[in-house]
Amino acid sequence: MPRSPGVPTPDALEARIAELRAAVRRAVAAGDRRAARDLRADLRLAERQWDEAVLGDAGTGNTTSPGGQDARESEARGLLPVREQVHQALTLLGAPAAPKLIGSVYAAFFPGEIAGSRLTSLRRDEERSFRTAPYARPYYLCAALTADLLAPARGLLTVSTWPLEQRIVGPLSPRTDFLTSAVRLAEHAGRGTPSPDVRRLLWRFASNIPGAVTGTVGTVEPADLAEAARAELQVHREPDRRLRASAAGRARTRLDDAERLFGSRLRALHESGGRRAAPGERGR
Amino acid sequence: MSVLSSLARLRAASTGAAEPLATVRHCHLVDAPLVLVPLKLSGEAAAPLAVMLGAAPDDATLLVVPQPRNRDLRFAFAADLAKLVLNHIETSHGSVEELPPGKEGEERIRYGNAPQLLVPNRGGVAFLRLLGRSTRFRGTEGPYAVDPAVPVLGRWLTWFAERHDHPGSSLLHAMTELLRLHWATGQSSLEDGNLAALLGWIDPPDGLDGPSAAARAEDPVACPPAGPTTDPSFDNEVLAPAIAAYHESHGDPRALERLRAAVHGQVAPTWELMWRAVGVLRALPEGASVPGRWERDRDAFTYYHQTFGEAYPQARRDPPVRAARRLHDLERAQDAYDAQRAFDDPLVMAEHRLSGQAFGGLVTECEPDRLDETGKRPKLRPLLRIGTEDPVRLDPGTVVCNAARPALKGRIVEFDGGGVLLELTGGMGRRLTAEPGTVPGVGERVCFTSLSEGSWGAARFPDREDTPWTHGGPPAEYVPTDEDAEEDWS
Amino acid sequence: MTETAPDLDRLRGDAPPRNHDARTIAALTANPGCARRGLMDAAGVDKDAVARHLGFPAPFGQSQFAITRGNAFEAQVKADGCAELLTLLRERLGLDVAEVAYDDLEVVAGNEGRELRHTRTRRLLARALETGEGTLFDHPLLRLEIAGRLAYLEPDVIAFQVRGRLHVIEIKSFAVVDGQAEPEQVAAAARQSAVYVLALRRLAAELGHDPGRVSHEVFLVCPENFSNRPTATPLDVRPQLAVLERQLARLTRVDAILEALPGDLVFEPGDALAESVRAVEARYAPECMAGCEMALFCRDEARACGATGALGRSIRDDLGGVDTIATALALADGSLHPSDDLAETAAQLRAAARLRDEALLAARGGAA
Repeated sequence: MPRSPGVPTPDALEARIAELRAAVRRAVAAGDRRAARDLRADLRLAERQWDEAVLGDAGTGNTTSPGGQDARESEARGLLPVREQVHQALTLLGAPAAPKLIGSVYAAFFPGEIAGSRLTSLRRDEERSFRTAPYARPYYLCAALTADLLAPARGLLTVSTWPLEQRIVGPLSPRTDFLTSAVRLAEHAGRGTPSPDVRRLLWRFASNIPGAVTGTVGTVEPADLAEAARAELQVHREPDRRLRASAAGRARTRLDDAERLFGSRLRALHESGGRRAAPGERGR
Repeated sequence: MSVLSSLARLRAASTGAAEPLATVRHCHLVDAPLVLVPLKLSGEAAAPLAVMLGAAPDDATLLVVPQPRNRDLRFAFAADLAKLVLNHIETSHGSVEELPPGKEGEERIRYGNAPQLLVPNRGGVAFLRLLGRSTRFRGTEGPYAVDPAVPVLGRWLTWFAERHDHPGSSLLHAMTELLRLHWATGQSSLEDGNLAALLGWIDPPDGLDGPSAAARAEDPVACPPAGPTTDPSFDNEVLAPAIAAYHESHGDPRALERLRAAVHGQVAPTWELMWRAVGVLRALPEGASVPGRWERDRDAFTYYHQTFGEAYPQARRDPPVRAARRLHDLERAQDAYDAQRAFDDPLVMAEHRLSGQAFGGLVTECEPDRLDETGKRPKLRPLLRIGTEDPVRLDPGTVVCNAARPALKGRIVEFDGGGVLLELTGGMGRRLTAEPGTVPGVGERVCFTSLSEGSWGAARFPDREDTPWTHGGPPAEYVPTDEDAEEDWS
Repeated sequence: MTETAPDLDRLRGDAPPRNHDARTIAALTANPGCARRGLMDAAGVDKDAVARHLGFPAPFGQSQFAITRGNAFEAQVKADGCAELLTLLRERLGLDVAEVAYDDLEVVAGNEGRELRHTRTRRLLARALETGEGTLFDHPLLRLEIAGRLAYLEPDVIAFQVRGRLHVIEIKSFAVVDGQAEPEQVAAAARQSAVYVLALRRLAAELGHDPGRVSHEVFLVCPENFSNRPTATPLDVRPQLAVLERQLARLTRVDAILEALPGDLVFEPGDALAESVRAVEARYAPECMAGCEMALFCRDEARACGATGALGRSIRDDLGGVDTIATALALADGSLHPSDDLAETAAQLRAAARLRDEALLAARGGAA
């Protein structure tokens, strides 16, 4: 098929788009991924040609201008680098948190938004930076460590300057961290007049903490939320603290600096593999 | 399924063309039904994507939600749909018939016509039901206000969906169900759920037979599914990029137009099928009892329309008394509907003959003037012997009636291998000699059945305030709450 | 890993065995009489690839909208230490406030190896059964023996321990509206959950515990009405468990099927593939379309030989064992004399044919 025809008419392009769409769907149905990929590329090309033929420059300018998009986004986000935005949110939360929560907290309490796509690679970038020049930065955004294997916990971010106990997570920690964050956010919100975004965020916490909802559905009194969260925290705090403390002790003796920040992936794998191989399944 | 309809399927499979299961049309068809072809977003309970609707083949309106996850766009869609559907309802009731006043002297009227909704399949009915459920409680004031037409649409859609559950009602039909009531195909009932395949067997496009038309219909690229769920490869390869482009363009009308064109390509073929199916059904002569059932539909419509302003939206769940009464009504309607269809249609009666609840054959002996003189006064009790090969499963003493003229009643006296001896008991006039033409003569072909239209009367149910404690006692009067109105639709 | 019957392994040729998931295992119960499916599943043949090679690709595509919706709902319910899920369990089951432990079994120290994950699942569940420690165990990796072979199960579920019993929690994104959900979706979820319950019970037994400590009551967590708010519905999967256990026991008899087949049979791509597949008898029914990758091929085959089963199970039942359409029609028109065991069916068919013709004639006469 000719990839660069002279100037196909819009009608011809439309027919070709319809044909290519059908062909892509048939290729997908037949499980032929390579053909589907090639056809998809042809389809996008035909669609672009159609845009140019029918809409002219206005069309392309409006829909797919990466510059315009970026400018708009960075304007909306404010001018801080992502790592500083995350640092601010985590500092407010005071506990290991998932990117999604970090994003909501930042959006509610700070001007602008964190670009979600940048968060995914953040931890890897920080680790690379630390390994190239350790402690060159005042803080690093790093992993939470699992209490049992001291490995990086999935999808949780922490700050390197926090005490190790705060960065280690055991089975009870997701809940205590949730409650701790609730207390801190509520206290922070209680100092001013919470915006609608903040109120919505607090509601997410309050609706999942017993006794935190004191008014009508959808509204939160920050002081009540903080008190309810503290009350439940009382139940879990001591067993959680013990586990975190003992794991932190182990981490201090066994892990090197980088591992303490980003988790001990390799060794844990090696250790657990070796330990398991011998008595394993059959020895039952 | 019976051996009779199984046989029809076998024959269809071997000839490659659908076989009739009915010789008359068992549903009413209005002159201008409102055909709706709805699509929803995959993975969501009732997130509308589009609907094509209209009351004539060349008068289709396509409504599209360009971003089905956007609540505001959904309600804008619901408001547009509401205006069209409500307008159709308001313009469909025709003239007003004055009826004789009711028992307490109240005025009674009946609309001369009623709106009829047609959707492609059961999924379409379920979608309208859910759309009704998700819109009827909406508030028209306050923070979550919607267009006033939206909750009105919700109540009407809920009402239509409830009427659909009513056997014999023609107010809302799924086209696949209608076609399956009248024809058997040479494929399984699972494949009959595909409107294009089903209609392909009944009325194949030029140059195709049933199997080849059905095979073509199963290719989702050549023949988009009739919804409400769209084909996954359409979703992934066409719809998702189009929605994303619309989203990124911040509502560019050209992106919207491209999205509409893509969706149009998915619903338009089904739209054509719907009207072709309407034509196929219209070609069948209407069954004798169809106008009577449509009259009940018009009564129901008249009542709901007249009392609409005073009533609340239908509750989420029926209170016990209403639920019990509704179930009872449905069962009665089912029995009556089954019997009426058999009386209207020898092919349906054949099912009952095969199962032994009816028998047919020639009259071999007839004693038209026989009198029963054992009582105080003599009674006209003609005897009739009918030769039949049918596998009769009726005991002596069973009351039966004539399929062609149900008023003619009789009682089975005896049944032996070759025939049934019948004593006629009613439907021959009031005198001691039968009215001419009422008693079948020797050599006449007759069919008698134990079916009857109203075998059991309406049961009585307690009033709402007398709901027994076993059923939770009298329920609180249902009043919609703010919570109902604010319920997320996300 | 585990010893597989070498006879079964050779059926795949060079291809690696395909893993079962709960969906494929649950689907086994749908058509227990099918030797073709039983054998191919037992040997871990990639039926999807086979069907595609034969020109009958399985129509099991999934819409990205549905996938996105499912993932988003699950993530939401599990977010912030399963905050929403805990609220639900506290409200519905009176879960004690102290019971909040959450163990993620999806990754072990950054490693997603199945052996490792299964070992950890085993260890934590053993501890839970012994000491009652732990509440929510996300993404346990389980195993189940299928036809003499251990299959890993990657359930997208949470094992939930309360008062010394384990429950399965399955998160599904179909809506429960006014307490009701689409019956087919609930049934599918129940069949899948039963597989997990069974695998957990086998694990409990291996660990020396009463399998009854894994409850037959699973919790289905779905969005309520039209919102994203989760609601929990208890589901008793005892009937599904019974069917599943019976079916798995039957599956172990594939060696009997294997014995009757040529010794060089192999389901490898190539010209001989269709012939190999046809060598193993199938038992097609329209229900196969819902779950078996081979369904379109088998339907084509069933239709080509005029099998009554292609028209539906109820028709085959109505015909009392008459397998082909041609035979049934010949019995109906009297051109074929029935054997004794078909006499009754034949009489029914003849009566049906006579009544049908009579009615159609009457209608035509009436219309004329």
